[in-house]
Amino acid sequence: MDKQRLLRNGPSRMDEWMSTSSTVATPSWIGTALRIASARPSFAAGYIIVFVAVLAGALAPLVAPYNPIEADPSQFLQPPNRLHWLGTDAVGMDIFSRVLYGPRIDITIAVLGTMVSATVGCLVGAWVGYFSRAGNFRSRIAFLIMRLADVLQAFPVFVFAIALVASLGQSIQTVVFAIAFVNIPIYLRLMRSQVMAIREMRYVEASLVAGMSDMQTILRHVIPNAMGPALAQLSVNVGWSILLTAGLSFVGAGVRAPSPEWGSMIATGFQNVVTGEWWPSVFPGLALAITVFGFSLVGNSVEVFGDPVKIRRLIRDVTLRERTRAARRRA
Amino acid sequence: MTRIISFLGQRLLFIVPQLFGILLVSFFLIKSIPGDPAVLMLGPMASTDAVVSLRTKLGLDHALPIQFWHFLVNLVHGDLGTSWQTTRPVLEDLLQRFPATLELVTLGLLGAIIIGVPLGVASAFDEKGILGRVAGVYGLTAGSLPDFWLALVLIFVFYTILQIVPAPLGRLDFAILPPPTISGFLIFDSIAAGDWAALGSALTHLCLPVLTLSLINAGPILKMTQSTMDRMLQSDFSRYEVLSGLPHRMVVRHALRNSLPSIVTIISVLYGYLLGGAVLVEIVFSWGGAGQYAVQGVLNSDIYPVLGFVLFSAIFSLIVYLIVDIVYVAIDPRIGR
Amino acid sequence: MLKLSDRVQATAASSDARPTFDIRGLTVEFPAITGVPTVAIRNLDLRIERGEIFGLVGESGAGKTTLARSLLRLPPEPGRIAGGELLFEGQDIMSLTEVELQRTRGRDISMIVPNPRSELNPLLTVGEQIANVAQVHLRVSRREARGLALDILRAVQIPDPERRMTAFPHEMSGGMAQRIVIAIALICSPKFIVSDDATSGLDVTVQAQILELLRRLAQDRGSAMLFITRDIGITAHFCDRVAVIYNGEIMELAGREDFFFRPAHPYTIMLMAAFSYNQSLRRLWARPEPLPGAKVHDSACPYTLRCPLAQERCRIDRPALREIAPGHYASCHFPVRR
Repeated sequence: MDKQRLLRNGPSRMDEWMSTSSTVATPSWIGTALRIASARPSFAAGYIIVFVAVLAGALAPLVAPYNPIEADPSQFLQPPNRLHWLGTDAVGMDIFSRVLYGPRIDITIAVLGTMVSATVGCLVGAWVGYFSRAGNFRSRIAFLIMRLADVLQAFPVFVFAIALVASLGQSIQTVVFAIAFVNIPIYLRLMRSQVMAIREMRYVEASLVAGMSDMQTILRHVIPNAMGPALAQLSVNVGWSILLTAGLSFVGAGVRAPSPEWGSMIATGFQNVVTGEWWPSVFPGLALAITVFGFSLVGNSVEVFGDPVKIRRLIRDVTLRERTRAARRRA
Repeated sequence: MTRIISFLGQRLLFIVPQLFGILLVSFFLIKSIPGDPAVLMLGPMASTDAVVSLRTKLGLDHALPIQFWHFLVNLVHGDLGTSWQTTRPVLEDLLQRFPATLELVTLGLLGAIIIGVPLGVASAFDEKGILGRVAGVYGLTAGSLPDFWLALVLIFVFYTILQIVPAPLGRLDFAILPPPTISGFLIFDSIAAGDWAALGSALTHLCLPVLTLSLINAGPILKMTQSTMDRMLQSDFSRYEVLSGLPHRMVVRHALRNSLPSIVTIISVLYGYLLGGAVLVEIVFSWGGAGQYAVQGVLNSDIYPVLGFVLFSAIFSLIVYLIVDIVYVAIDPRIGR
Repeated sequence: MLKLSDRVQATAASSDARPTFDIRGLTVEFPAITGVPTVAIRNLDLRIERGEIFGLVGESGAGKTTLARSLLRLPPEPGRIAGGELLFEGQDIMSLTEVELQRTRGRDISMIVPNPRSELNPLLTVGEQIANVAQVHLRVSRREARGLALDILRAVQIPDPERRMTAFPHEMSGGMAQRIVIAIALICSPKFIVSDDATSGLDVTVQAQILELLRRLAQDRGSAMLFITRDIGITAHFCDRVAVIYNGEIMELAGREDFFFRPAHPYTIMLMAAFSYNQSLRRLWARPEPLPGAKVHDSACPYTLRCPLAQERCRIDRPALREIAPGHYASCHFPVRR
């Protein structure tokens, strides 16, 4: 019957009244991004901040006016001026140059630490979640892993991180390791609870019935469907790790001075602040705060994009804005 | 009621192995920090004989598991070991310092709740209004500020420039004698002793660190309140209440009630976290609290203060979580009945 | 059966001609990121007369819930009422202030929702939830409100109502929770009740009990009702007039007898054929579902892709709802007549 209809009407005729989408052309990727940015400027701000911070770190050797670890004792504690835009610190190092170099250490450590913890935490969490109700030997191991996570989380995070760094020796690698280590339980738990819900889904059963092994099922079906919350956590976690890195350096357990690291810069400027020279501490702190702010904005946007309810609201706001703007233009 | 008790019993059963695990991990972690306490205590000029005899005296010549066993045996007898830095029993040190931290953290958290919860509710009430916008920006900013930096900025503004608070050096002015210790909380003790000068000094010293902690920690509380309230107001039952013509105020009030478990959770998590997490603020203000004590211990291979602190804060967090579980049962009829 | 239709005509003739609820040209849109909104309800007209039970049948996605909620000016997020009038007792719902709207909802117009267990607040006892509505709308004291709640629990035939007052929603079965929602909808004796798929998800026996109860209570209180369902069989026993909605538009509307004995629209016939044991009848009226995402042009009849009778004209000229017999409306160029 369908064939006859087609023959009678001809395919061109079909096209005319049946179209898979609306009459308007599908908007481009960039166009959609711009429209979202206009309705949620904070999202755009987040991506821009992160981009600028990474760029500053990458181009610091080209852009910075001074060597970040070269002290000029004749120029100590200069307030911001034409030669030293953000002033100099107590030993005469240029603060602007040091602030520019900051992301090289802080963002690198935080991103690496977060990546390691997310990878390990998600894989182990998926395994634990998948087998925790299996009722066999593996479920007992899963139980033990969770109790170990309990123990690790019962530690005061900061003291734990300092102890890790102290026992492994102070270096950038150990700070990365410490940050990765204290973050693992977060991903472990997120992934476990997601996987435990997904484990009960029919498609997991179907995959097992179809003859896939447990590991294949975990990798192909469970993990991709459970990743959402962990992904949304990533960016916020990078911001938080930057704060932790700076905190470690602030107490002298992280990156050592005179490396251009924001936390240790704030620490060395501490005494000067009390006596009124605010710039050695305030500027690196601002850079730190703005960078972390950028990462949490990005995290926010990821959260919205992953949540059907929030994305519906976003779409409503985008269209409402455009409608009011169109109405205003007509008036 | 009996169910609540058996529920608590189950929880308590888990606490002992958990505490054991925490102590085990921290013992071996701190022991793996390079640096010999005997050498550190006697100084670099000490003779080898003196170091060896001190090591024997401290029990450092035993294997690590045996040292751990000794620690546990002493612990059961109420002896947490001795700090070589202060040369005092750790228990005494902690009993003096823990209240200092607890006073700071509790007040800071109270401030955070006072700022965070109403702002969160207000912003859920009226997302597009001024309060909603302020709350949105604040929630994002507060979580991004390093607390130790904010403390510095506050010191700069209120101490260096305006000079309306005392120098950031400890809990009391040097000229003022601390009131006799009853609880360790200076506010209580000075009121109990009727020592108004000490009370005033304690309060002015508390101002900035408490403000720092409140401003920073209001962020997570605000965000949690906001997002949970938002979810509750979007939920089926809130929509049904709107469809049933209940007034907006009542719908929001019910949504707040349904959000309480999440808000209580984040507060309890923050409380546990802050004991150790306020250490940076403690350092900036030379607070002399327990967190600072532990960090000094880690940085100087002084193991017993660290173990003591870890033990204290773990027990404290467990107590807080226990209270939270009881609160849940009180709030939510679906749990524990 | 005869008695029922007599009653409808009697009420229509005796009271003033004004219907309880008159929907004129209602359009509800859902914005899409492409910029062209999806139209969920398109220029829909519907009159619900006093005291009648009006059945509205549609498949999932036809716009049933959107319509139900739009009548209370709360379309599902992020939907928006883009045009039309919603005349309740001559007063346009669209022009009410927020406070007036809040006072109207639940008191004059109430709604019975599906899946009541997730719609009731899990932390409040059902007694409190019923009493809240009574207290707010009837302006009575807490004590009186509780008394009214107890009365209405008896009326919806909940066993042991005193004990049920202090029960929480999670402690109830689906049928029990459905009775609670009905109790809330009826406690203020509203003039108009919108029932949105109220009995889906219930056992057939429970369903029959609840429908019977609902009809009796609505009639006792003189409430008109818009009964929205996906089950065409229910409307045959339960409703005075029936309409079929497809893709946000009314396809056919008629009194119950006409509707079931003389269906005219191919879509209606397909829905009825779907219940039939007669295989060939089913095959005759059903066509394979079109591919997902396939849409017809705005100037074509929305049912073209699935219609076995579709002809050239259906693809160019969108039919409007027209009267094909007294009181019998269909939106089709080639209605089936016999």
